[in-house]
Amino acid sequence: MSSYKKRYSEGDDGLRFQDLAYVGNFKGQEPVRDGIVGDRIMRSRAKSKVLEKVSREDVLKGQFTLNELNDLNNYLAWNIWDVLVMRATEGVSGMIPRQEYEILAFMNEFYRWPEILRMTTDEIGAEGVINIGATARREIGIKVNAVHDWCIGAVGFGMGRCGLLALEAIKPNDYVEESNEILKFMQRVLWGKRQDGYILNSQDRYRCAIHDKDVIETLASHIEYFEPGSDKHQKFTRFNASAELLAFLDHFDNRLGLGDTGPYELPDGKILIIRDLFTNEEVYHWSDACDNAGVPHCYSLLLVIDAEAMSLEEIRVNDISTTFTRPKNYIEHIVGGAIFVREKWNTPMSEIYPIAIDKLEKRVEGIQQATMGLYSKLARMSRRQLITNGMYTYYIDMILPHLRLAGTYEKACVDYDFWEIDQRVANYYYDITKRGFAQAVVPQKIFSGEGYLPFPDGTDLRRSKYFWS
Amino acid sequence: MKVIAQGYNSFETKKSSEGEVVYLPNPQSVIKLIQSGKLKEHILLVQGGTTTFLSPALTMGAIGVITLSGAPESHLGILSREFQMPCVMTAHLVDSDTRYVTGGDNEEHFGAMISRLQGKRVRLDCSDVDHGKIVELD
Repeated sequence: MSSYKKRYSEGDDGLRFQDLAYVGNFKGQEPVRDGIVGDRIMRSRAKSKVLEKVSREDVLKGQFTLNELNDLNNYLAWNIWDVLVMRATEGVSGMIPRQEYEILAFMNEFYRWPEILRMTTDEIGAEGVINIGATARREIGIKVNAVHDWCIGAVGFGMGRCGLLALEAIKPNDYVEESNEILKFMQRVLWGKRQDGYILNSQDRYRCAIHDKDVIETLASHIEYFEPGSDKHQKFTRFNASAELLAFLDHFDNRLGLGDTGPYELPDGKILIIRDLFTNEEVYHWSDACDNAGVPHCYSLLLVIDAEAMSLEEIRVNDISTTFTRPKNYIEHIVGGAIFVREKWNTPMSEIYPIAIDKLEKRVEGIQQATMGLYSKLARMSRRQLITNGMYTYYIDMILPHLRLAGTYEKACVDYDFWEIDQRVANYYYDITKRGFAQAVVPQKIFSGEGYLPFPDGTDLRRSKYFWS
Repeated sequence: MKVIAQGYNSFETKKSSEGEVVYLPNPQSVIKLIQSGKLKEHILLVQGGTTTFLSPALTMGAIGVITLSGAPESHLGILSREFQMPCVMTAHLVDSDTRYVTGGDNEEHFGAMISRLQGKRVRLDCSDVDHGKIVELD
C-alpha cells in the first residue's frame, strides 16, 4: 500500500533521503535536513516573502530588495546542497575533467550572462520572459525545463558567485546589480512555467506537474500498458536507459540532457512521469556522432508507475529535473509507457510523433551507434578540449533554450560574442588546477552549500563592476 | 563465501550478479574489454561515480559495477538503476578502516581496494535498502 500522498499533507515533514545536514550561512542554528522539512525551515528563516507564493506584479518588478537577494541566495545554497551533496562524492570521471569544466563555466556564467540576459529582457520585455517559461506547460521535448531554469540562478548566480568568492576574485558586496539581473530572469521563467506562485519544485513538496490537463490527456492516449517483467517492459525500460545514457554523454556527463516533469496522477491512480531525453544537441560540434546515427534532438517518454505495487512512500521530482523515489527502484514497477520523437529543437509540437514499443529495436541500435561513436570521439580529445567543450555544455546550454525562444540567440552570438570565454576566466584555467582547487572547492564549497556568502547589510543595490555596453 | 567489501547500494534489487572483478583505469581499457567479447563475464571496478567513462559498457550490457566513489544520486547510480544493473558505490573493505574522502587524497585507499578486489570472483548482493555487499565466491 502506498503512502506517498501523505507527503502532500500540510505539516508532513517527508522522508530523509540522506544522513547529512546543511548549515550554510546559519552557523550556530539547528542544521537543516533534506526534503520537505528542509524547505520549510529554510523558508521560515527568510527575512522577506520572496520564498512564499509571489504574484505576477512581484515578478514583473525589476529589482529585488537586499533581503530578497539574500533569501534567494540562502535558499538556493540549501537547494543546491539538497540535490547535489551526494552527487558531489562521485570523484574523478576517468574521462571528462568535470569539476574543472564546471567551476570555470560557473564563473564564466556569472561574468558573461548578465549583459546577455539583460539584452534579452530588453528585447522581449519582462512579460516575454514569463511567457518563455509558460511555453513549457504545453510542450514536451523542450529544454525550457526545471534544470535549465534552475541553473540560471542556482548555477549562474549561486555557484558562479560562490566560486569567484572562493577564488577571492570578488568580494561579497560586488556585482549586486548583475546578481539581480540573473535572479530576476530566473524568477520570471520559473514563475511563468509553474504559475502557482512558487518558482521551485522543492517549495511544492517536489512536484513539477506543470502540464495542462488537456496536454496530459492527449499524450496519455498513446500509452501502451504491459506486465512488469514482460517483453514490452524490457524493451521500454532498456530504451529509457540507453537514451538516458546517450543524453548524459552528449551533454558531457551533466544533467542538462534529462528533464522530468510530474508526478501526474492518472485516472486509475497510477503515476505518470514525463521524461525528456535530449539525445542530440545541434549546437555541439561533437553531436555529429548523433547525426550520423540518425538520432533525433529528443525522445520524450511517458513512464507509468504502479505506486501501489511498489508501496511508494515518497516521490521527488527535484529542481534538476530528476526523479527519485523511496523505495528507490521504480523501474520494475513501470506498467505502461509511450515514446515520442522531436526531431529538432524547433520541430512544432504538431509534428512530434509517437513510436510503438515494438518498433524500438532500430532506435536502440541508433542510440548504441551514437554512444560508441561519441565515446570514441571523446576518448581522443585532449584534457584542454574536454574542459573547453564541457564549459560550453554548461555556459551555453543552460540559457540556450531561453535565448532560442526569445529570438536573441543569434544576436547574443554576433553582438555579444556568446561563445567567447571571459579573459579572466580563461586565466583562471591555470589557477583552478593548482593545489587541487577544482577537486576541493566544487564538492566542499559549492555542492556542500558552504561559501554562499550573503550580501552585507547596507550594500548598495547599484553596486556593479560590469562594463555595460 | 564471505563479504569482503560494501558500499552504498544504488538501488534495491533481488538480482545478483556474479563475475570476475576487472579494474578499468582508462577509456582504452573499457573499449578493449568490450572488444574482447567478455564484458558479461566481469564485474567492473572503477574509481569514479560518473557515467561517461563506462558508457559503452553500460549500453552493451555490463552485468555489475563497483565504484570507489559516488552515491546513488551520482549519474552512474542513476543509470545503473535505469539499466537494472547491480551497483555498489563508494565501496570499502570490511576489514579496513580506510574510507574514501571527497576531495581528499585517496590514492592509498584506492590502491588497497584495487589490489584486494582485482581478479577475484565475486557476487554483488544489492538486496538491502542502503548497503550493497561484495561477496567473495572462491
